[in-house]
Amino acid sequence: MIRGPATQRPAPDHLNFDPALTRWYDMLSTVTRNRDEEVDGSTPLVTSEDLLARVAQGDREAFAELYDRTASRVFGLVKRLLRDHAQSEEVTQEIFLEIWQNAPRYEPSKGGAISWMLTMTHRRAVDRIRSAQASHDRDTRIGIRDYSPGFDTVAEDVEVLIESERVKIAMGRLTELQRQAVTLAYFGGYSHSEVSAMLKVPIGTVKTRLRDGMIRLRDELGVTS
Amino acid sequence: MNDPQNESGAYALNALGEAERRDFEAAMRESEQLRDEVTELTDTAVELGMSVPAVEPPASLRASILDAVASTPQLPPVADTGAPAGADTPAGAEPGPAELKARSRWSGSLVRIASVAAAVVLIAALGLTVRAGLQAQSDLTTASQINQIQAASDSAHQTVDISGGGTATVVWSLELQRAAVLIDGIKGLPAGSTYELWYMDDAGSATPAGTFEPAEDGRRSIVLSGVMNAGDTIGVTVEPAGGSPAPTGEPIFVVETA
Repeated sequence: MIRGPATQRPAPDHLNFDPALTRWYDMLSTVTRNRDEEVDGSTPLVTSEDLLARVAQGDREAFAELYDRTASRVFGLVKRLLRDHAQSEEVTQEIFLEIWQNAPRYEPSKGGAISWMLTMTHRRAVDRIRSAQASHDRDTRIGIRDYSPGFDTVAEDVEVLIESERVKIAMGRLTELQRQAVTLAYFGGYSHSEVSAMLKVPIGTVKTRLRDGMIRLRDELGVTS
Repeated sequence: MNDPQNESGAYALNALGEAERRDFEAAMRESEQLRDEVTELTDTAVELGMSVPAVEPPASLRASILDAVASTPQLPPVADTGAPAGADTPAGAEPGPAELKARSRWSGSLVRIASVAAAVVLIAALGLTVRAGLQAQSDLTTASQINQIQAASDSAHQTVDISGGGTATVVWSLELQRAAVLIDGIKGLPAGSTYELWYMDDAGSATPAGTFEPAEDGRRSIVLSGVMNAGDTIGVTVEPAGGSPAPTGEPIFVVETA
């Protein structure tokens, strides 16, 4: 039997932040968090877009700050979709590494940093669901996932858990079918064919409801490009 | 035939199948109106995302991510996105696959690098470095093999220090009976010698699993040759050039997979 060293790696130096600096970041984070959550209209000291621009230059401290501001949003969304805690951590790590790698390609003129990050978050969480299914479906009947919650659970959770009154009200303006389809697709991570099977409506109809439902939401929420 | 216009909502919600997604992105290239609609519906989806309660991740995740970032190279900025999303292709200019994807506001960076990034991210997630871009085809092949090992349902990995400097992460899957080693910071070797990989079974019998030279920057990713069996220990020794049939030197690191 060959033997050799098998020791844990010590924490790298860059993790040992200067405490004063850390406090400053904490303070900054408190001041600016509101802006990112659109609660407070006051001008932040440093926007997430500023931070992302610094991350694009390889600034790891800016990345740490961006992480502190956004990790709970990213993790919350991933966890909503994946449910499983360990997998959610794994995917969150992949997402933040992708944010780091792709920061030089972020173009502020095309939208906010948080939008960019949350769009990537949803895509990656859904990718994970699909790839888990792909391996799952190899030895079972192709169909509805049996390891994830059904529509009732998704819908109930969403009813209770949507934090934003604006979004709740906007969702309330959708038709029943629009709301069910959008809810299953976005909050459940289901594909249109799964939504079609769950709601027992044709795929073409699901696609149409997803589109007109999202257009309705866009108008209710006043989203413009 | 699908009507792309009808799929903008499903696209923004990531509800399309993989092939449909590609078709839809091709259709977006042709239509400014479609791109604009997707941009708005994507922003609308972000509003839904913002309405999900935030959940604080564990502190260990922060440490792990910052650690991984320290050794993960960034991608170069995209050179050809001078045209803002929604701008038309100049007459006669045939957009390359990279450019056309950059047209779509978000999917640009997401889709284009997805295949390479998937491999890179998985490796980077282990806190290791892989050369940016993975220029060489052999690197790509290695990355995709490592990706497979990583993606296996029973995939496991362990990082250890290399005596003499550097770290090694061994990734393995008994289901696939494959293992790979990702080396960072290993020192160069004198002429006439090589690093050799070994599978060693419970009984202490070693099977050669390939040799490697470190790259100039001390990094290297290698998929072990041969078959991994349950209980195997994976190790590396320094051997004369060409490798030995059985280890002659002291191991510079070992990982017990049992």
